[in-house]
Amino acid sequence: MRWTPSCASVTELTATRDNRTMPTPSQPLLEVSNLTIGFDTNRGEIRPVNDVSFSVFPGQTVAIVGESGCGKSVTAMSILRLIPSPPGKVIGGRVLMEGRDLLTLSEREMRGVRGKEIAMIFQEPMTSLNPVYSIGDQIVEAITLHQGVSSREAYRIAEEALHDVGIADPRRRIHEYPHQMSGGMRQRVMIAMALSCRPKLLIADEPTTALDVTIQAQILELLRKLQKERGMSILLITHDLGVVAENADVVGVMYASRIVEFATVEDLFDRPQHPYTEGLFRSVPKLSTDEGRLATIAGTVPNPAKFPTGCKFHPRCPRTRDAAARVAPADVVEVRSAGEQFNVLKTCATREPELREVGPSHWASCLLVESFERSPVTTPRLRHRRAVEPVVIDGAAPPPGALTTGMTL
Amino acid sequence: MSIEAAEALDRAPDPAAPHSRRERTERLDDGDREPPPRNFLRQAVLDTVTSRGARAGLTWLAIVAAWAVFAPFIANSHPILLKMNGTWSSPLWRYLTGSDIILLITFFTVTILAAGRWFSPLASLGIIAGMLVVVVPLCMLVTRTPTNVVYEQYREWAAEGKVQKAWYAPIPYSPNDRLRDVRDARLKPPSRQHWLGTDTNGADLFSNIIHASRIALSVGFISTGIAVVIGVFVGGLMGYFVGAVDLFGMRLIEIFEAIPRLLLLFTVTAFIQERSIYLLMTVIGLTGWTGYARFLRGEFLTLRKLDFVQAAVAAGLPRRLILFRHMLINALTPILVNTTFGVASAILVESILTFLGLGLVNESSWGSLLNQARAGGAGVVLTIAIFPGLAIFLTVFAYNLVGEAVRDALDPKLRKRD
Repeated sequence: MRWTPSCASVTELTATRDNRTMPTPSQPLLEVSNLTIGFDTNRGEIRPVNDVSFSVFPGQTVAIVGESGCGKSVTAMSILRLIPSPPGKVIGGRVLMEGRDLLTLSEREMRGVRGKEIAMIFQEPMTSLNPVYSIGDQIVEAITLHQGVSSREAYRIAEEALHDVGIADPRRRIHEYPHQMSGGMRQRVMIAMALSCRPKLLIADEPTTALDVTIQAQILELLRKLQKERGMSILLITHDLGVVAENADVVGVMYASRIVEFATVEDLFDRPQHPYTEGLFRSVPKLSTDEGRLATIAGTVPNPAKFPTGCKFHPRCPRTRDAAARVAPADVVEVRSAGEQFNVLKTCATREPELREVGPSHWASCLLVESFERSPVTTPRLRHRRAVEPVVIDGAAPPPGALTTGMTL
Repeated sequence: MSIEAAEALDRAPDPAAPHSRRERTERLDDGDREPPPRNFLRQAVLDTVTSRGARAGLTWLAIVAAWAVFAPFIANSHPILLKMNGTWSSPLWRYLTGSDIILLITFFTVTILAAGRWFSPLASLGIIAGMLVVVVPLCMLVTRTPTNVVYEQYREWAAEGKVQKAWYAPIPYSPNDRLRDVRDARLKPPSRQHWLGTDTNGADLFSNIIHASRIALSVGFISTGIAVVIGVFVGGLMGYFVGAVDLFGMRLIEIFEAIPRLLLLFTVTAFIQERSIYLLMTVIGLTGWTGYARFLRGEFLTLRKLDFVQAAVAAGLPRRLILFRHMLINALTPILVNTTFGVASAILVESILTFLGLGLVNESSWGSLLNQARAGGAGVVLTIAIFPGLAIFLTVFAYNLVGEAVRDALDPKLRKRD
């Protein structure tokens, strides 16, 4: 069975094959191009983010998905310049927010961007709130800073924000301390805090990883609802393909510091091009098939201190192993990975594939994709929005407004 | 000043913090039921106070603090009320010194502020300002302390039958009333007249111990205060900026730690002719900050990686707010624990110095009293050894008990879940 996203149909698919020939109706809100981040360690410089490009359009949810240590969080942090400056540094690339390069802003200008234009929520709601202040004090702090309102007005805004994220009795709870709240509540508070200044972009770094499944669903639902209401964009960092399928419009798959595949969520789930993406989908348990053992991708994520040469996935790649069995021995090299020895294509072990537009609105970086050599190297840009699927309860006719608001009930 | 801090610690460990929050709550709730916000600090204070060791420690510290504040009313050669030749007078009030009055005013200000939770921060500030601006100069003007004090006169007048009526403090001897008019007053064992006996000068020992509690407490608080301020500043800088600042700061700490504290104190006190209690405090403070700096550096190194600090940065808060509101507040509670131990060790250092004769000349402290037990080389006078020693021991012990209770209350691992 194919893993299919929950949306039924694609209504709007305006992928831009080439920016120069077909001008996009709207400019991207955030455009990351060729971003490379380096860290100085005592074993030399490592590059957890390498030549990463993607863009986020207004109102869009872009998911960056990948295993732990693939560089997705570092990418997110470097957009807000939260990487500690020694040892981390930007080696190259640009992060354009509405045409402004965030990497060249002064620290003071950057403070105006943080929280106000781009907000961020973190993985651990249990530790993301300061234990010594009431949640109201913490929300108000950011509001008074960015909106320049009086303390009384800020409290009113904070109450409203808490109400918006579904906290009952915000007037009372605003004075509570983080330790009086559950994990889900705290994540709601974090969202309220992040959204209180109405940012244009919300970076959600694994927002539901630390929560249990029912709360996860609630939080994601809440994010979707708030996104619809406010028209903000979300950059969703996750390792959960289910979360991606439910929420993302556009997905970038990251592996070992690079984006290896970039496509609309429907396209990616229907026609994964990169063997790593295929492997990811295979390792998701399915209800329809009766498998004894869950498929995994052989080996582990390479250490950023010693990435493999060539394509960084080649020691784990089943596609290149299959291909190696069919070519002349001269084109094959032997590789040892995860305790076993096997042959891979020589090109895979020596040449690093760049991200190419291998199909309509589909980018991948694999030499073994059929159309790879013919495809142009372009910056991934997709103005795609998934279709909204209204939920109708018990066949009752929804009121006319309900469908257009796009809120799931 | 030191006693104000002592009182604040003893009576109202959380005097100022809840005010503003409470205010805000009431304003927003418009008078309806206010949920008791279980403040972390308030909970910690509650946990501390319920511990048995801390209670014993706090009780002793309260006694010592009461001694310090009310010393002239507890032990004084001047009668509280005196009727002589048919006229009433109050020599005790007339002979109160400036420091006596400042201590008393501070004590009452703090008590009023601690008791009156209903005061808004503004009103509290007003009370403090009022006390400072009006009461202090007024008292200074009214009391003109005579410089030449003759204690013998009261006993002489009584012997001559001039005194019709006299009410004395519970211990009718000032610490420097050397009983020159009494024969063989020196080194007396405890008796009904002198509860703990007399010292080598013939002065009442208990009176001396009570008056010396001021020095002990003020040295403890002021020198620890100096050490904490320097330590927090240096440690905070190192922990936040890391890199070169950290490297340089740590070397500075190592240099300071390489200096033997007592030897430095000996040198300084030996070189400087004029003995001053403030000099002592400063030197003890200047040599004691390294522990706090190390500690805060470590705290900051962990804090700056924590999610809520990252979240504060991501929310675009300026560095000043992140440092003070988010990092320092979270690091201060463990610092508080170290501070209580620091006060104990400062009191001990002061006792050591004065025992060795490097303290003040004309004012007795617990250490110098202890020194008198040697009786000028004529063997050990047990009572003089025991009582000042006991005062030092109990005070240091009490601080350690309180410190331990505070540490237990603040340690989340030992806390019971609510």
